[in-house]
Amino acid sequence: MLATLCPVVAFSAFTSTVASAADGDAVFYRALNLNGPALSIGGHDWESGAGARDFEARGKTFDNQNVPLVPKTGLNRSRMIRSSVWGGDVELTLKRVPAGKFQVFLYVWEDNRSETFNLLVNDRLIQPGVRSGGAGEWKKLGPWHCESRDGQLKISARAESSGNGAANLSGLEIWSGDGPVPAEPAPAFADNPTPEQLAFFESKVRPLLVANCYDCHSAESGKTKNSLSVDSRESIRHGGDSGPALVSGAPDESLLIAAVRHTNPELTMPPRKKLPPEDIAVLEEWVKMGAPDPRVGGPSAAPAARAPVDWEKARAWWSFQPLTKPAPPVVRDTAWPENGIDSFILSRLETEGLAPAEDAAPGVLIRRLTYDLTGLPPSPEEVDAFEKSAAASGLTAAIREAAGRLLASPAYGETWGRRWLDVVRYADTAGDNSDFPIPQMRLYRDWVISAFNRDLPYNEFVREQLAGDLLPQRTNDQLIATGYLANARRFGSRVDDYPTHLTIEDTIDNFGRTFLGLTINCARCHDHKFDPIAAADYYALYGIFNSTRYPWPGIELEQRQRDLVPLVPEDQVAAVLAAERQRSDELERLKKNEKKLAEAAKKASDGPEKEDANQKLEAARQAVREAAVRPQAPQAYAVAESEKPADVPIQLRGDPTKSGPMVRRHFLTILGGAELPPDDHSSGRGKLAEWVLAPSNPLPARVMANRLWQGHFGKGLVATPNDFGKQGRAPTHPELLDWLASEFVSKGWSVKEMHRLIVTSRTYRQSSTPRSPEAHEKDPGQALLSSFPRLRLSAEAIRDTLLELGGSLDRAPGGEHPFPPQEKWEYTQHNPFKAVYPTNKRSVYLMTQRIQRHPFLAIFDGADPSTSTAQRTTSTTPLQALFLLNDPLVHEQAAKFADRLRTSLPAEPDRFHAAWLELFARPPGPEEVESAQAFLSGLRSKLAATGQPPEAVESEAWHALIRALLRLNEFVYLD
Amino acid sequence: MNPRSYNRRAVLRSLAGGSLLMPGLVSQLLADDSSADPLAPRSTELPATAKRVIFIFSNGGVSHMDTFDPKPKLFAADGKTMGIGGGLSNQQRVLLRPGWQFKPGGKCGTPVSDLFPHLRECMDDVCVIRSMKSDDNEHYNATLGLHCGSFFFSRPSIGSWISYGLGTSNRNLPSFVVLAAASPYAGTQIFNNDFLPAYHQGVRVMPGKEPITDLDPRSTQEGLQKMEMDFSGAMNARHLKARGGDTDLAARIRSFETAFHMQSEAREVFDVDKETDETMALYGMKRGQTDGFGWQCLVARRLAERGVRFIELVDGSSSHNWDQHGDMAEHAKHAEYIDQPVAGLLKDLKRRGMLDDTLVVWTTEFGRTPGVDGTKGRGHHSACFSSWMAGGGVKGGITYGETDDIGAAVAGNKVHVHDFHATILHLLGIDHERLTYRHGGRDYRLTDVFGNVVSDILA
Repeated sequence: MLATLCPVVAFSAFTSTVASAADGDAVFYRALNLNGPALSIGGHDWESGAGARDFEARGKTFDNQNVPLVPKTGLNRSRMIRSSVWGGDVELTLKRVPAGKFQVFLYVWEDNRSETFNLLVNDRLIQPGVRSGGAGEWKKLGPWHCESRDGQLKISARAESSGNGAANLSGLEIWSGDGPVPAEPAPAFADNPTPEQLAFFESKVRPLLVANCYDCHSAESGKTKNSLSVDSRESIRHGGDSGPALVSGAPDESLLIAAVRHTNPELTMPPRKKLPPEDIAVLEEWVKMGAPDPRVGGPSAAPAARAPVDWEKARAWWSFQPLTKPAPPVVRDTAWPENGIDSFILSRLETEGLAPAEDAAPGVLIRRLTYDLTGLPPSPEEVDAFEKSAAASGLTAAIREAAGRLLASPAYGETWGRRWLDVVRYADTAGDNSDFPIPQMRLYRDWVISAFNRDLPYNEFVREQLAGDLLPQRTNDQLIATGYLANARRFGSRVDDYPTHLTIEDTIDNFGRTFLGLTINCARCHDHKFDPIAAADYYALYGIFNSTRYPWPGIELEQRQRDLVPLVPEDQVAAVLAAERQRSDELERLKKNEKKLAEAAKKASDGPEKEDANQKLEAARQAVREAAVRPQAPQAYAVAESEKPADVPIQLRGDPTKSGPMVRRHFLTILGGAELPPDDHSSGRGKLAEWVLAPSNPLPARVMANRLWQGHFGKGLVATPNDFGKQGRAPTHPELLDWLASEFVSKGWSVKEMHRLIVTSRTYRQSSTPRSPEAHEKDPGQALLSSFPRLRLSAEAIRDTLLELGGSLDRAPGGEHPFPPQEKWEYTQHNPFKAVYPTNKRSVYLMTQRIQRHPFLAIFDGADPSTSTAQRTTSTTPLQALFLLNDPLVHEQAAKFADRLRTSLPAEPDRFHAAWLELFARPPGPEEVESAQAFLSGLRSKLAATGQPPEAVESEAWHALIRALLRLNEFVYLD
Repeated sequence: MNPRSYNRRAVLRSLAGGSLLMPGLVSQLLADDSSADPLAPRSTELPATAKRVIFIFSNGGVSHMDTFDPKPKLFAADGKTMGIGGGLSNQQRVLLRPGWQFKPGGKCGTPVSDLFPHLRECMDDVCVIRSMKSDDNEHYNATLGLHCGSFFFSRPSIGSWISYGLGTSNRNLPSFVVLAAASPYAGTQIFNNDFLPAYHQGVRVMPGKEPITDLDPRSTQEGLQKMEMDFSGAMNARHLKARGGDTDLAARIRSFETAFHMQSEAREVFDVDKETDETMALYGMKRGQTDGFGWQCLVARRLAERGVRFIELVDGSSSHNWDQHGDMAEHAKHAEYIDQPVAGLLKDLKRRGMLDDTLVVWTTEFGRTPGVDGTKGRGHHSACFSSWMAGGGVKGGITYGETDDIGAAVAGNKVHVHDFHATILHLLGIDHERLTYRHGGRDYRLTDVFGNVVSDILA
């Protein structure tokens, strides 16, 4: 309310902060801070409600000075508003009020959820159905004209209906007379300071500011922490993120003074040492005199004026350019290219004076292709068939045929679905301090796997994850798809100050990276430093997700799930929800009954009375048990629309307690900035999906085409697949990227078509040995694809292969995890949910906790379950080696594999042949056979010397051989 | 992750071509090339007074006014009600007098309560910080913040940052070791490398039979594993030679050699039986003991001797710790559990000349309320708490910072968790604003955008 920059007014004007009433104006009578101390607001003295003379208040008291107010206001007014008298029936009575006319103002506020109540003056309803608004909202209601009655003025607030309607009343302001209430005088700064005032500033204030504040708050130091600089008149008055630093004439209301007084532990300046009292007194004195300050137009005269985004220039960035479809370039070696991809790759190689590598051997190719598309090794029969097919009809046909077979296998979706789960940071737990399990989450996992397997077009894949629940005649699958949003991370242990803003940040962060390749969350605290994303864009999206109801996974202080979505057709949802409510009411009633009967049984005297009571109790218990296990409609951990979708204000510096201007929900300005139409009362998610997928937005196709490329070659054409902004890397082959992206769109966003296109290219088929030594020099990281980059198997592929070799892999789909039943959930941060469920199923089905990494996946660079993993790292650590040396899994599976070879193949050379084929998709060379034989005979003599029977010796020797082979580079690397 | 270097490849290839390649040589070549080795020791920009850190973390929230922050007025105000700020204690509570008397320790006279009689003797080497401040009153978040500089999001732990910044000098042991009998609040996140490469992951050591997972050879036959290693070594060498000495492949060969040696070297570190009776007694241990805090402290010294960069000792777990809501008297048994071992560690390091360049840090996630919880307990209090540092270039025999008369709030020289981290990094020669890692389009720091070095406590 207090102006931050006031018009220039003569210094003398400032002394009269209380304007005298003009003739006929109402006159200030009394003001009460209903649940707080006496203070001064707007130049009037407010009394403390507690113990004020001739005043009584009925109601409970409440005080929370941490709630951010909407709109913001001065220090003292904020303090007054955030302490209140509340309840469903509050009554404020002023006594000994002289007869006459009065005008009443009432300050009301809301600390959490909106309530509706009626207001009465002297028992007369004067404002029905007052809605308190969202958290932090406050209103100054009135004036209500009234007369004193029997020497009293009585103001009451009553709940509109039972249950909802608690009013928070903060302050009462009463004026006598029915003339206009004079506007609050705005205290003016001393803008024409007297020589004495200037001398005061120069001799006392300036040295203080320079010595204690400039280090962190001046243009000179280059630091303006909290966006505050104090080195010019304009900037110190403008203030920083917390608001204006000075209120002229009112030290008690000035943030600067509060900071140096160290009254608020969150705002103590200077941070290390409190100023001596005499220095604080100087600053108070200075503020009292209107903060005279000659530093006009100083270095920070244009405070907080970050250059606004230059949209025109920003649009020139490569990734925002419209999608083009460049023609594949003409190349010299016209015999080499197999399809469009190859022309782009070869053209670049030829420019660099390089030639592509030879085609890889068929054995190498089928191993590469099989792991690539299914995450599993080819069987010896498949290797054989591929080699024959390649010999008979050429590599292209052989690859096409094999790719068709592999893409049709369920293992394909399990492998490529896992890549998607990496990006969307999938987890089976919520990530709060107790890491509550989400048994239903796996439905989303299965949906992703199935979407890849049935080649759901990528645009539909995106739409269903963002707004599947809003699609016409939506199916259960489409509901489950929004599990993508529901899976956003949860935080904390408490319900009262639940950090919703962090869950929404996690949503926006992942949304931006996953679908657009943009780091939108960098705009949470300020406009993005590098990319054209304004803080307003961030809060426009924030409004959309804040208008979305996320399911409640449980948390330490509220341990049961709620707000999940029943998996029934849309027109039955209401009925199912009603039945659920009935069911829980019924259960509640039965439990009460049980408790009552238990007490009765305790009191009953021995004999028939006791027996009878016990019988009744047992029947009641049985009823509770039955009601508790009565089948529920299956539910999805999915999102829904919130009750009241709404826009939100910008949070200054990302601090939810500091509100800036409201922002209409809209899409990123750089991508068109479409706004939610005024008559759209939804959350805006449906529109968001439309905006993302609009043909004018080139990013989704580019980003996904790049991810697919990366999946095949280990590295994207853009090496930073989640960041297509300025901090990311430019594409190595921009035309190829656009060509792929437009192919993708024109082929109906079919992911499988893209796989076929890529794996049948000549580029994919190259050997990992470059054609010439110069290739090393000119293409060191194989960024130009002068050879195929050697790839290490993923954590999942290593584990799945070990199990497969040992004949232990269970290829059935994952199904449910064996979580404890919800009735038993008592997880806290002291005893968080923590489990590793052993299974022989594929690794994609391992239960994944958000805050505890699976021990195996953690060692082998598995995905980070708490944040998007755009690309797995491949570290090489001794712990990985220790696993392969000593872990029971390795020893067991090696033994099973060896035993299988020994029982099925009597001749040793056949066993070598089979082992090499299964492990490396090639037969052993003569040298290798020799080494293996020498190794085995060495083992035999060593083991025999210990006196073991021959069968044990033979078995042990073969176990050792297989273990040694499992540790080879050739086993974990794909050429 | 290994940056490929053409020259390195060329050298390896030429050696391979000349049939000089042996597994040992590969290791040697790689070890000399710091660009190929993310854990090679690195020099620092600033002078370092500490070379390594032993970080002792007492989980649950140790009461400051009952240990290192004497509050005579709180004794006097027992039973009175005063306004008390700070998170969960943001309410009026009846004040509870501290349960233990304070006595001066060492020549410096730094007062320490009777909970820590052994530690009190070491005060001449210790700088007690009484003005610590955290941002969260939840164990989980405060513990996460204390380790990772972030109170909500999982980020690399301080040990991982230091491993990343400095590397390590003994490649047969991990650079960052965590000795924890049980899981603390926030679980493995407190020693997680998060987005830093996995080389910098804290390796958890559990007192007991197999302190590191998969450390012990599983083959029943002596020498069998060595034969397996030789065979796979030869096969790998042939494979490597055919692939032009690819450094990724060479690095993996070397990781097996390291792991092979770790089996014996790490075993040797955990085997404290060779220590003298006198040393065992110093740590309050009995011969044959393979767990307890004495064992953790003694093994910490042995790890420090062998060049491990960051050693964390976790005291307590998420379900059994210093969180005395019910009865403050239980602080006694928790203090007794660590007092003599920690004092023993300080004395042992000192007499071996290791305290000069070993920074020992003791901390907890927050303090406790001056007001009573229940009838005899205290609540969580992040508004202020006490920690201490010793050795590694820290001024001994002093206290720093102060709280108000009843220990409810910092009254001067506040040391926020970020400042605490900045100071630890500074002692190791690292500018906390310059130790960054690019991740997801942003440069991350342990101290986020905060942190000031507390220069007053530097020797």
